[in-house]
Amino acid sequence: MSTLRDPFERLLDPARVIDHALERRLYSRDGSIAQGDCGLVVLPETTAEVAACVRLAGELGLAVVPRGSGTGLCGGAVPLEGAIVLSVARMGAILEIDPEVPCARVQPGVLNLDLTTAVRHLGLHYAPDPSSQQACSIGGNVATNAGGPHCLASGVTAQHVLGMEIVLADGEVLRLGGTAPDPPGYDLRGFVVGGEGTLGVVTEVTVRLTRDPAQVRTMLLDFPTVRAAGEAVGGIIGGGVIPAAMEMMDQRMTIAVEAFVHADLPVDAAAMLLVEVDGTPAEVAAHVAVVEEVGARTGARRVRVARDEAERALFWKARKSAFGAVARVAPNYYLHDCVVPRTRLIEVLERIEAIAAEFDLVIMNVFHAGDGNLHPLIAFDRRDAEQVERVHAAGTAIIEACVAVGGVLSGEHGIGLEKRDFMPLTFSAVDLDAQARARDAFDPEGRMNPAKVLPLGSRCGELVLDAGSLPPGTWL
Amino acid sequence: MAVTTVLTPSTAEELAGMLREATASGRRVDVVGGGTRSRAGRPGPPGDVEIRTGGLRRIVAHEPQDLTLTVEAGLPVTEAVALTAGAGQDWPQAEVRDGSTIGGVLATGASGRRRLRSGAVRDSVLQIVIATGDGRLVTAGGRTVKGVSGFDIPRLAVGSRGTLGVITQVTLKLWPLPEARGWFGAGGGLEERLALARAAVTGAGRPTAVILTPGRIDVELAGPPDDVVPPPGMEPSGDPPAPVGTGVVEVGVPPPRLGDLSVLLEDEGFAYEARFGVGTCLVAVDDAAGVARVRSWAVGLGGHAGVLDGPDGLREDPWGPPPPGLALMRRLRDAFDPAGILNGRLVPWA
Repeated sequence: MSTLRDPFERLLDPARVIDHALERRLYSRDGSIAQGDCGLVVLPETTAEVAACVRLAGELGLAVVPRGSGTGLCGGAVPLEGAIVLSVARMGAILEIDPEVPCARVQPGVLNLDLTTAVRHLGLHYAPDPSSQQACSIGGNVATNAGGPHCLASGVTAQHVLGMEIVLADGEVLRLGGTAPDPPGYDLRGFVVGGEGTLGVVTEVTVRLTRDPAQVRTMLLDFPTVRAAGEAVGGIIGGGVIPAAMEMMDQRMTIAVEAFVHADLPVDAAAMLLVEVDGTPAEVAAHVAVVEEVGARTGARRVRVARDEAERALFWKARKSAFGAVARVAPNYYLHDCVVPRTRLIEVLERIEAIAAEFDLVIMNVFHAGDGNLHPLIAFDRRDAEQVERVHAAGTAIIEACVAVGGVLSGEHGIGLEKRDFMPLTFSAVDLDAQARARDAFDPEGRMNPAKVLPLGSRCGELVLDAGSLPPGTWL
Repeated sequence: MAVTTVLTPSTAEELAGMLREATASGRRVDVVGGGTRSRAGRPGPPGDVEIRTGGLRRIVAHEPQDLTLTVEAGLPVTEAVALTAGAGQDWPQAEVRDGSTIGGVLATGASGRRRLRSGAVRDSVLQIVIATGDGRLVTAGGRTVKGVSGFDIPRLAVGSRGTLGVITQVTLKLWPLPEARGWFGAGGGLEERLALARAAVTGAGRPTAVILTPGRIDVELAGPPDDVVPPPGMEPSGDPPAPVGTGVVEVGVPPPRLGDLSVLLEDEGFAYEARFGVGTCLVAVDDAAGVARVRSWAVGLGGHAGVLDGPDGLREDPWGPPPPGLALMRRLRDAFDPAGILNGRLVPWA
């Protein structure tokens, strides 16, 4: 048996070159359903090691799939056809914290929540806060342009990345952007964010830190109908308030979560809203008044304001435990991530309800209502092949329903493998060709995370090799 | 010398057709929006063709409930701002100038004074349609207020000065207009003003802008009326004056170094506008030596300086040394404008 590991062992400590079958199988998956095929795992610790691995892979004609924590939900970190997985898990140092900018320079393997924890004593935090923030890495956040509840007012990852170091497909190391704003030339830094590992391996990130607000108020509103909750979302935004976060949970999800966290959630309500406002005391008072007024007008049965930091933390624990809590309902779930115009929220939620009935499936909803970012979650048991078929069909119906009202395929998870072949629903062949050309400018030979984001054949005139190259288990 | 042909398309398709034609015939194209930021780039002869975007001025969709606005790029920015203000909404990231078009603001990446609180103008673009140099109409991004569908061509287009393509249409993310807004300021010695600036940036009042100019500091506050009151040591004031000279240089330095830059500028008698907490500074200059001096200070502080506006004599070296990634920029330019016809004088380090 020829060994792929030998040449890499000359670059890295052998303990950081993994080719054991079981481990390769673990690295063949991420947080999605897709099952890939990993040829070798390398765990570099320095930028020079990353560059050497990428260069060697190129010489061997192998593709490289960069990997953060592997919590991604769209198959973006799933290797295909024996590709090399380059994990940045061993690059986990916070290199510098500058409270004056304020910013932090970190390695890509730093976990999202660990960064906020490290700067909390300075009255600072890192704003993007995906539900997976205890486990997901900053590098992965950059790759997917990750969001989170607090991106409603603060913006997604792209607005918080000031600069980066990246290893390109040919091994060249570049520093893009930095703390000095608007360097002349094209915004390469901005383009790399959300590139899903197809543009290079990000080996260092300078992120903007955000000063903690003077005051925060967190409220739970419970509603007798989903429609009323949707109307409240529109009423709050229409009332001139963009809350720091505005999350909705339907009754099925609330019941599952309450059984898990015991936060005295309104399990008899059809839907609840978690609304957080922050700012100066006057701002917070004005915004709380709007939320209470809109709640009363739209039929909220109660507006429960978190009494203290402990209760606020409990509310957020309830929200962020939602996906874990689903385990009580079914062994597997398939999570979608469409965004619809805020004004179409109610009709799309009703359509999703109808899709659940049509396909005889349990669909639960917990999502970023304030920016129209839906997360319908289909609970199922993957051992039941017939049910899996229905889950597949329902997922497609949900995506089509969102796109039909002017929505987009993903709000914060990315396209990866799972949404790849849906891209033509929202983009023309000319649009996709332009995206492919831009990607090719970074990686002309297509070595970095190939076959992700864009459907095969996106490049006009590109030879379509094999439309059946998707791994088994990928749902398209 | 050949006379430049001026073309004024009234639809995006028509504009794209003109670019296809120019690519086929190898004619060089200059693109002009409102022409308010046109004294930029390297000096050189004008293109063979000038395309003016002023005919593309339809309001495609204003969705007040969604806080989004979709417009054609030739629409004057003041018209867009008036329209959104009527709905109690705002585009706070943009630098709004009389005569500018939306497309011009975005192509030049012109972020306004409120960037401290609202972010850069590139963060407000949800969807963009560009006509590439070879006349392909490309739509990228999505009209929802959030989305990561595919590669971020909107971020490449914003600030690319029409050298990758001509922006024909955009969808912008809007924000509610604050209940109240007001400027407050003070005079005094530089040390004193720097201390006020630092306190304002880090204070709980979250100002929308903290602007240092020679002899002045001015802070804009926004929010409920109770918050829009003079901070300690300041009086109600107005929009601080923009620096005026033969030309204007735009500096970007790490935000904590802006104080050091202000000291140098004030000592040497330059008119300037330093945007604290952001790290940008506009400096009035009168000659190429002034450009070089300001640039050397900017580079010394870990930043850069480009000529934002000025006559040819100030723009022999408009951007200074290129940042890393120049080869990538060239490949991107080839991908979007294969014949290299667009805005030749504005192509970074062509």
